[in-house]
Amino acid sequence: MSHHFIRFTGVHYSYPDGTEALKGVSFTATHGERVAILGLNGSGKSTLLLQTNGLLLPTTGEVNVGDVPVTKKTASLVRQAVGMVFQDPDDMLFMPTVYDDVAFGPRNMNLPEVEVERRVTAALKAVGLEEVSKKAAFQLSGGQRRSVAIASVLSMKPDILVLDEPSANLDLSARDNLIKLLDTFHHTILLATHDLEMAKQLCPRAILLNQGRIIADDSTEKVIETFFSVCLRKEQ
Amino acid sequence: MAKTEKILYSLTKIDKGRRTVVPTVVMLILTILYLVAVLSVPLHMPQKLIWLTAYPIFLSELCGIGYLKIFVRSLWILPILIFIGIFNPFIDTAPAFTIGNVTVNRGWVSLFSILLRGIIAFQSVLILVSTSGIIETFNSLRKIGCPAVLVTQLQLTYRYIAVIIEESLTIKRACAARGFGKRSYPLKLWSRLIGQLLVKSTHRATKIHLAMLARGFNGVLPTGNAVYWTSTSWLWLFGGIVFIAILRFTDFTSLLLHLTGNFNR
Repeated sequence: MSHHFIRFTGVHYSYPDGTEALKGVSFTATHGERVAILGLNGSGKSTLLLQTNGLLLPTTGEVNVGDVPVTKKTASLVRQAVGMVFQDPDDMLFMPTVYDDVAFGPRNMNLPEVEVERRVTAALKAVGLEEVSKKAAFQLSGGQRRSVAIASVLSMKPDILVLDEPSANLDLSARDNLIKLLDTFHHTILLATHDLEMAKQLCPRAILLNQGRIIADDSTEKVIETFFSVCLRKEQ
Repeated sequence: MAKTEKILYSLTKIDKGRRTVVPTVVMLILTILYLVAVLSVPLHMPQKLIWLTAYPIFLSELCGIGYLKIFVRSLWILPILIFIGIFNPFIDTAPAFTIGNVTVNRGWVSLFSILLRGIIAFQSVLILVSTSGIIETFNSLRKIGCPAVLVTQLQLTYRYIAVIIEESLTIKRACAARGFGKRSYPLKLWSRLIGQLLVKSTHRATKIHLAMLARGFNGVLPTGNAVYWTSTSWLWLFGGIVFIAILRFTDFTSLLLHLTGNFNR
């Protein structure tokens, strides 16, 4: 069973207030593929990402991670394979220290403490924040928090990495470091972003969402062109 | 630094505690036993409680915290204790004893008993948290067999204190940024701010919960570091139990009276 690909088949999702956020989304991201999810605010990017590890379940349609359909029952299995970095790092960091936050996932996987420590050290080293492991999250800068949030997912060694606007609020240097870091991740990546340059640098393929529908699925360069025309149409 | 921010920083100190000679699990077991000993003293026998004060005094000095520090901090709980016992002197008016011409009723005795009991019980918990830290204390609770769900609830409640403080700090900063030095606001605005704080905290807690689920949270927070039990732990435990038992069951008052009586003769 391979966990490394993700497939959406006719996924619809409506929020309890009736807002239809996804309207028949279908695509497949194969093993090792990096796909950028682009779209205007409110186009359904975050909702789509939340479907990847069962935090939201489709109203109709199906999401598969490898051979496993994402359901309530399979959610815990899927979450070991799909690591998700949220839009706001503060939503992810709540433990007393950075170390505990990064160790949260591995510990939930019931790994022995020696292995947890090894993974935490490696993840913090990867994001260049070994020295802050004993600090509390609120003592870190915005960029550092973002990096710790990413480390907290990397420590789970996911097969698929899902990131929701990871470069938001990062300075140029931190953003470059993030791109370098993500470049070292050789499995599947789904990246929702407004940072078109980052999308171009990291992802050969992009999907453009507009009002819950995929309106373009092609090379990132081409999709960005379509994206600009959508933006222009909206302005007019 | 703002007061709210200071509280946030002080929480990190409470998280970690300070390492002492007494192992965390032993400290936890002894604190539980001590609380049982304190609560088992009848309300109208405060003289027995006085001897039990030796435990927090001895332990705080042994752990290098200093009793004065613990005593001052334990006074925070005084208003609550007064609120609990304040009506006793007016309800239980039966005479307890007489000093000279003044008759002291049982209500005053029970009020004194409540105050002393509450303060020394709180002091023992303060010592536990100061030495072991909240996180280690929760881990130890799990190790001694406390249900994981209950400990997780306690841990999350504790963690959400930090979330609420962070949110209140954000609101406070937002007010200050547009308040032009204004320090007081009408009551109506305060009630709105508090409502907003609750809404924001709940919203953030929901998002945190989602992020926890995404990283495999299944209802039980992982404890992490192992709590070690060594041969010296047994010694500390045995010594502590004997010490508490002596304080609880020896009638020092009668012994003292007996000794002074013999001495006078």
